Amino acid sequence: MISSNTDPLVLRKLMEIMKIITESDGAVGARIIADRMKERGYQIGERGVRYHLRILDERGLTVREGYSGRTITKKGLQELEDGLIGYRVGFIITTIDELIYNTNLDVDTGTGNVIVNTAIIDKNDFDEVMEIISAMSSKPYSMSPYIRIMEENDPEFKVPEGKVGIATVCSITIDSILVRNGIPVSPRYGGLIKMVRGEPAEFWDLVLYSGTTIDPMRIFIDRKMTSIFDTYETGNGKLLASMREIPVSAYEHAVEVLNKAQEIDIDCLIRMSEPGTPVLKAPITPGKIGLPVYAGINSMAAVKESGIDITIQPISTITDYKKMTRL
Amino acid sequence: MRARITRNNSNDQIIFIISRIEDLIYNVTFDMSTGSGNIITNISIIKSEQIDDILHIFRDVMLSGLALSTFVKILSPGESVGSLTIPEGKHGIATVCSITVDGVLLKKGIPVKPKFGGLVEIKKGMPVRFTDLIRYDSTTIDPLEILMSHSLTSVSDMLTSGSGKILVNLREITMNARNKVEEILDDMASAGLGGILEVGELNTDILGMTVERDHFGVAVIGGNNMMAVAQEQGFDIDTHAMSSIMNVRDMVPIDQVI
Repeated sequence: MISSNTDPLVLRKLMEIMKIITESDGAVGARIIADRMKERGYQIGERGVRYHLRILDERGLTVREGYSGRTITKKGLQELEDGLIGYRVGFIITTIDELIYNTNLDVDTGTGNVIVNTAIIDKNDFDEVMEIISAMSSKPYSMSPYIRIMEENDPEFKVPEGKVGIATVCSITIDSILVRNGIPVSPRYGGLIKMVRGEPAEFWDLVLYSGTTIDPMRIFIDRKMTSIFDTYETGNGKLLASMREIPVSAYEHAVEVLNKAQEIDIDCLIRMSEPGTPVLKAPITPGKIGLPVYAGINSMAAVKESGIDITIQPISTITDYKKMTRL
Repeated sequence: MRARITRNNSNDQIIFIISRIEDLIYNVTFDMSTGSGNIITNISIIKSEQIDDILHIFRDVMLSGLALSTFVKILSPGESVGSLTIPEGKHGIATVCSITVDGVLLKKGIPVKPKFGGLVEIKKGMPVRFTDLIRYDSTTIDPLEILMSHSLTSVSDMLTSGSGKILVNLREITMNARNKVEEILDDMASAGLGGILEVGELNTDILGMTVERDHFGVAVIGGNNMMAVAQEQGFDIDTHAMSSIMNVRDMVPIDQVI
């Protein structure tokens, strides 16, 4: 553990170095770390990095491997999760921004990559899981009928032995489509939407991305607040949803872009709000239009509701849309 | 008495937890000199047959200092508090909620800003830092209830080994009130309301979290750490944090009900 009375600037560098080590494949040396630190705006040389690495080693957060490489320890990974609380509040938006920037789906051609949620399940549960995901392959339970199955030897995703990975399109893909078309978009919050007779009635609970260190979707799933199966069977229940805002002047352009997205099977918009007016009881910033969308993760959360053991990773990574298969 | 802001009478917009907190603390009338008046309670609904086990857990947690006070009120099946009715086969245990501290400070003229609920890592009995938090103005669900259901707490470990993660909430207060706040907190402790984990320095991070300019932070132990322990030990417990206002005269020290 890094004590909280360490100089905040040193603390930030230590954390960034650990992050760089975690993100690389295998052990990584001081020279490469120094280069990556510069890319991220930290003015630090190879010697400086060595000094910081010594601190990390002493505290058991990194470990020397081979000549000069370092790898992260279990304690180090825990530290990345727990440390520097002040920088982690609202960090989900930073992660979202990074993914949005790396996404390049073209709504005219349907080529490019999309943001996906991933889930890991046991091989034995595969048929049962697929039954649920296939039944819930469209709005409001999924963003898109396209999914991807990852086997143990998948080159892009680490799938543990005896398990299968599944990727479904994440609703943040909507944000990246808007940004790719020049529309500034601010993801605001994740929430639970109450459905009555198959229609959205009102937002029931909200958690703002800017005020939490825990992903809102995880909060609702782990607290078992969803009732996706009930909604599927009776039309009444609570589904996961999220909200983003765009400028009022971009309204028509956004409609046009989202219509095109619908043609390539990406659709999850609930409705567009009036300017600066609450939509489904959820607040909207003055001068903005709110776009509430159903979360793409509902079908996976339904699997969890059914009692099957599933590890869900919302807003997980990006993958080529063309490599996904239609259910 | 019931909290006035509920979902039913808010027709146009969803209510964030900060509004509910402010509504509740406005209703606190606890008087430290007489030891009477209204405080805010959390209610835990439990299976009737488990009440003895759970009361013993609660007592252990209270005596170890991980609670605000030892006062409780047992609610029988069918009994109602505010909008909450205890179902058949269940009992309710009302305990003191940590935002009572904000209510008492407010009524002493201190402008207090409840900020967030979070998890604090404790090492060998010393609070080290916040590791997760959710701001009150960013959520419609009580942050401590979220963190409790997230299986991130290790309050039992904290009790047995002195190290673990406990539920804590934080408020900020303007710096010129610092001396008066310390006095009030001392008086509260004498009147049986404790649970202060740390009073921060002016313009200085508290447990790793920054404070607003010219403010200081006060970290208070969450009233639901005892529920977290019961839950960690496998008991079914349905918590309703910040659920109602109750006169402290209607409550008794836990030793009287065990």
